Amino acid sequence: MSAAESATAIHRNQVDLLDFIDWSGVECLNQSSSHPLPNALKQGYREDEGLNLESDADEQLLIYIPFTQVIKLHSIVVMGSEEDGPKTVKLFANREHMGFSNVSDFPPSDTAVLSQDNLKGKPVVVKYVKFQNVRSLTIFIEDNQSGSEITKVQKIALYGSTVETTDMKGLKKIEDH
Amino acid sequence: MVLEATMICIDNSEWMRNGDYGPSRFQAQADAVNLICGAKTQSNPENTVGVLTMAGKGVRVLVTPTSDLGKILACMHGLEIGGEMNLAAGIQVAQLALKHRQNKKQQQRIIVFAGSPVKHEKKTLEMIGKKLKKNSVTLDIVNFGEDDEGKTEKLEALLAAVNNNDTSHIVHIPAGPNALSDILLSTPIFTGDGEGGSGFAASAAAAAAGGISGFEFGVDPNLDPELALALRVSMEEERARQEAAAKKAAEESSKQEKGGEEQDATMTERASEGASEADNKKNEFLALAMSMDEPASSQDLQDTEMSDAAAEDPELALALQLSVQDSAKDSSSQADMSKLLADQSFVSSILASLPGVDPNDPSVKEVLASMQSQSEPQQKQDEDKAPKEEDKK
Repeated sequence: MSAAESATAIHRNQVDLLDFIDWSGVECLNQSSSHPLPNALKQGYREDEGLNLESDADEQLLIYIPFTQVIKLHSIVVMGSEEDGPKTVKLFANREHMGFSNVSDFPPSDTAVLSQDNLKGKPVVVKYVKFQNVRSLTIFIEDNQSGSEITKVQKIALYGSTVETTDMKGLKKIEDH
Repeated sequence: MVLEATMICIDNSEWMRNGDYGPSRFQAQADAVNLICGAKTQSNPENTVGVLTMAGKGVRVLVTPTSDLGKILACMHGLEIGGEMNLAAGIQVAQLALKHRQNKKQQQRIIVFAGSPVKHEKKTLEMIGKKLKKNSVTLDIVNFGEDDEGKTEKLEALLAAVNNNDTSHIVHIPAGPNALSDILLSTPIFTGDGEGGSGFAASAAAAAAGGISGFEFGVDPNLDPELALALRVSMEEERARQEAAAKKAAEESSKQEKGGEEQDATMTERASEGASEADNKKNEFLALAMSMDEPASSQDLQDTEMSDAAAEDPELALALQLSVQDSAKDSSSQADMSKLLADQSFVSSILASLPGVDPNDPSVKEVLASMQSQSEPQQKQDEDKAPKEEDKK
């Protein structure tokens, strides 16, 4: 019960981390050039159901997202279609420039197997303790729901809080007194 | 100006001993590699290039991606030819070398020289291609040398698997009179992915397209000044030697005075002829001149072509001045020589004295026969125009 309460309490403070993404360093391996990563990440594009991020040579995708400041990651939303949406998603915190060859070299910070609910927009809560000090996030989409050649992702959204900003707010409140 | 890390895979298998690409396939390949390294490092100073060999005892990385051109050129020396090319392993090692590049912002590119038969299956190559595409590595394939059945097909399949939006290319180079590196200059491997390429590639391509006419010896003095200087010095020495030999022979024959007058006439006639031709149909006439075995006219043509090019390049103007002085001497001696060469016995005696030339060689005989037939109508032409020139004077 208390765990559920604290979970909802955290929910209230979390923000969409879209503003803190360092777009100059964002990379996506094995994306199709006609369906690139911004289709799933950027504001406006990700809401459009016709615009998807699609994989190219095979069904795996490796997405690298650096942030402009240190953040805490609370949950992620991955939306996609029923068959071609992603299934197994592995998250790596603070691992730079990973390649498909070294995804299995170290254990992921968290793994999520997406259900149909998740694909419709239900957030996946991650192991918060593992994502307390995140400078960059690597999302490895290992396979998709139906096992087809191409994985299609409609939207990726990250929710959490920033480390510095929280401190700033705290300072402000003290000053008000 | 794309920031790139490139790995060049060299084929140093036994098939590279063949001489169908002069001087040997391996040498032609080495020249092309040098050219590519220069182009890449010039287009962006942060570019890095690495080299590995695919044959021999096994795939061996000679130099990891570096921007130090000297290191790259140095490692090309003392390479041994032998063994069989292992294309799959070569590409995979290249991919690994690129993965560990220091600057992760660089785009990854592999350039493969495939000169010997490809022993891998098409499927294997396609899988490798897919893997490269997945890791966003672009691939350029230079298909030359051996052309057994299936090789072209396999390489095309590999390219299709790797290609992502036309960033990867394949070039097929047949054996022929043109150097491997010259043909490469005009391909997308040098000119980049439709960006127009670097200034170096563009100017070098233009020069190559003009039929080596832009530069004195087919070598850009800007690119490789030491080589250009060495070539020029050796050419001058050879001319001096030929000139001395010709002068000696001229003294013996009675044609000396007559040849002297006609020399000036033929020189000016050819120069004006060359200039007008060059203005109108540069490439066509040069090709014609090349095919003609007349050294003097082609020399003058090259000079006039050079003067056009030199107008654009002050450095070349200096080189041109030097060469004009030399060729002035040279033309006179060569015009003289052309008449002497008409004399069969004189020719055979000269040829016998030259080391490495067998007068009984059928190709040598062919050349002599053509020169004989050419020198006769030209002499008539000269004599017709000589009085005209003298009237003008």
